[in-house]
Amino acid sequence: MKQTAKTRSTNFAVAPRKMGTKRHFESTAFLSSGLRRPALRVFMAMLLIASTVYAQGSQTFPDVTAISLEDLMNLKVTSVSKRAQKLADAPAAVFVITQEDIRRSGARSIPEALRLAPGVEVARIDENKWAIGSRGFNGRFANKLLVLIDGRTVYTPLFSGVYWNVQDVMVEDVDRIEVIRGPGATLWGANAVNGVINVITKSAQATQSGLITAEAGTEERILSGARYGGTIKDRGFYRAYTKYSKWASSTDATGQDAFDGWDTLHGGFRFDSNMPGDNSYTVQGDIYHSGYGETLTAPTLTAPYLTTFRNNGDFSGGNILARWNRTFSKSTTSLQMYYDKTNTSADSLLVDHQNIYDIDFQHDVRVNEHQELIWGVGYRSTQDHILSSPAVTLDPDHRSLSLFSGFVQNEFNTFTNHLRITLGSKFEHNGFTGFEFEPNARALWTLNRKHSVWGAVSRAVRTPARTEEDMRLNAAVLPPSAQTLGLPAEVSVYGNKAFKSEDLVAYEAGYRLQWSPAFSADVTTFYNSYSNLLSAEPGAPFLELTPNPPHLVVPLVAANKMSGGTYGTELFADWKVVPKWRVSGSYSYLHMNIRRNVDSLDQSSLDPAGISPSHQFYVRSSIDLLKNLEPDITLRYVDSLSGLAIPSYYSLDAHIGWKPVGPVELSLGAKNLLDHQHLEFRPDFITTSPTQVKRTFYGTITWRF
Amino acid sequence: MRRVLTPIIIIAALILGPEVHAQKSTDASEYFIKAGYIYNFAKLVGWPATGFAKPDSPIVIGVLGDDSFAAVLGGAIDGKKIEGRGFLLKRLRWSKDGKDMKECNILFISSSEAAHNDEVIQILKGTSTLSIGDTAGFAKRGGIINFVLEDSNVRFEINLESAKQADLNISSRLISVAKIVKPESHGDR
Repeated sequence: MKQTAKTRSTNFAVAPRKMGTKRHFESTAFLSSGLRRPALRVFMAMLLIASTVYAQGSQTFPDVTAISLEDLMNLKVTSVSKRAQKLADAPAAVFVITQEDIRRSGARSIPEALRLAPGVEVARIDENKWAIGSRGFNGRFANKLLVLIDGRTVYTPLFSGVYWNVQDVMVEDVDRIEVIRGPGATLWGANAVNGVINVITKSAQATQSGLITAEAGTEERILSGARYGGTIKDRGFYRAYTKYSKWASSTDATGQDAFDGWDTLHGGFRFDSNMPGDNSYTVQGDIYHSGYGETLTAPTLTAPYLTTFRNNGDFSGGNILARWNRTFSKSTTSLQMYYDKTNTSADSLLVDHQNIYDIDFQHDVRVNEHQELIWGVGYRSTQDHILSSPAVTLDPDHRSLSLFSGFVQNEFNTFTNHLRITLGSKFEHNGFTGFEFEPNARALWTLNRKHSVWGAVSRAVRTPARTEEDMRLNAAVLPPSAQTLGLPAEVSVYGNKAFKSEDLVAYEAGYRLQWSPAFSADVTTFYNSYSNLLSAEPGAPFLELTPNPPHLVVPLVAANKMSGGTYGTELFADWKVVPKWRVSGSYSYLHMNIRRNVDSLDQSSLDPAGISPSHQFYVRSSIDLLKNLEPDITLRYVDSLSGLAIPSYYSLDAHIGWKPVGPVELSLGAKNLLDHQHLEFRPDFITTSPTQVKRTFYGTITWRF
Repeated sequence: MRRVLTPIIIIAALILGPEVHAQKSTDASEYFIKAGYIYNFAKLVGWPATGFAKPDSPIVIGVLGDDSFAAVLGGAIDGKKIEGRGFLLKRLRWSKDGKDMKECNILFISSSEAAHNDEVIQILKGTSTLSIGDTAGFAKRGGIINFVLEDSNVRFEINLESAKQADLNISSRLISVAKIVKPESHGDR
């Protein structure tokens, strides 16, 4: 795995395939020093006119000599060979969702955009909750996926999963989302077990303009955003953004309003230096507040022993990150620091304050023509404070944890660069399980320009989350019976201080084909062997007097008594049928065989095979019509989830973008055209009502200036 | 207005124009941008009088390696003139004596020939050839200009000391948009 700046990007980086429309140039920074603002608008307009006129026109060789130096600076290579080559070089299952993909699909959030990646499981639980996973083990609290936004880890130490509703960015400012299926632990560390998702926003230099966008639809009341970018003379570039979104509530399976509407307000900035010399700096930060609703079912100690009610919660927080990159002739260094604060307040459940301080250093050394060495060290401090409720308690209620990590990875070429071998390991010391090491060995054999194959063996661990050590969650209450000595029996899930890390050894192989500039495909297959997976072992029941009435507690204690294997395959193909019509598609298959160990008494855990789809596919068509019309259609299929009683479904999404002359872009879209509504998932652990994903229509207007 | 219009039409042409199939793995846009830059360098760099035999001698551009790029560059500069000088494009192969290279006013060393970067830099010592590299560290190690990719934009570095040694006069306009790099000092990694 080639890694030049882990903190900045996965660095297999980019552009896995040539893009359809603006396939050669995309002028990003319209506010170049040579163009003043009025000229800019003219420029935009003219670009659009000229492009339509030219469409029917001649096929001459472009006269690049007439482009000024300043304009050249701002032209963007949309399909960068070097990086594309790097992608082809990556001995891992990498997929890149480009800005173009996001824009053309109409995706307005990271979860929606992730539906474009092959093999990734994306299911909406209710309007503000998602289950997102890769290669199985999906769920709202899915904990085997590492998610980063611009180098900042965004899974919560509370349960090792991601609050997807607060991971929001200005989607127009996303440069790309790199999705790695399979372990990436050697570089990223614990939790990069089944996949890594790396959201990378554009540099401030690439967003030197203003943008205002507004969207409304049958599901979204309003999605609005504004961004402005500019230059600080002799210092660098900045941008600032704010966005506000509000979603209407959906209905539960019985057609009742599920009160799962929500809203979110985000704001942030990014600064990128532009100073002569070898140093560059980035400083960026965000703040947000979000309020949401849900329909919660919670156990009670008195009849009817459970109650369903409307529950509310909110999220607030912020983060600030600074990164310093330095280039030497044969090496680069990167030093990154960030602080992230997340406050979650879920009424009736818990209030959680998390403070994370993180510092990482990385050094990439080009040893010689054939060898590249990367090493790094990092430290993370996590401090939390949790206010418990009758339903959820954490003991202790505040805890401070340190994570020390280091990694080293060596990559070398041999046989005249046809074979590339990568060896490396991560070393970590965490506050729960102590020392962990996560090595990998990867090889890429490039047969020729068209064909390459790769293989990898890696180990990854998923270190315990705070809840798995310290939590008590009252999951259900059984009515009094003879078996329960005539008392109500409260089934409570307990953390376990002796809980160990979950282990994975993964074997992967892949083949990539670049048949022609118009056709590419890749196939990946894997076998994952897991041990020490989380189970819930029944403990000895005991009597509890408070809260009233006296009741029996039936504990289910976290243990590491599940193991087994999974295997599967993922295909992706991209075909530019004609220059203005691109068709892409993916298919993925997953088989899971996870079983209790012989000494396990767990009767309550769901078989993970029943909560991840065995088969998924999509087919996508993107056409460029004259007059700047861009219709996109995507058909998706997701197999049934037998463990959750979710039937399989097809979904047809359509989106059409139109750029009339001028700085305004319009688009119309529809989601889930094939059915009125369907369920995609049911929650695990916290029993909120799953809600219907409905057929929706929306319209967007974007004004760039 | 005209000033604005010309690049627009070109950009449009690039967006909608035919794909260039000449190159194999490199996307056309990167080649076009680099060709555009090289033309601009030719305009904004002053050679010493000894660099040309006659006032109308062509500017000789050598491309070491990567014929696809040479094809794009050749197309771009074909028929163009700068201050009365036309262009002459030479496709070069690596050779130790480097005679062909020394005769160029501009020499582009494609990344496929990066293994010879240091040797080329040595060969060009004492000449007024504007060396343009396409690999990390080229300018720092004594080359004059080097292309770098930054967030999918093509940018370039200039080593002003190397330019001075080659007796080349780099216009301030070029300097203002370049990343200035210093030659590597000993012990510096």
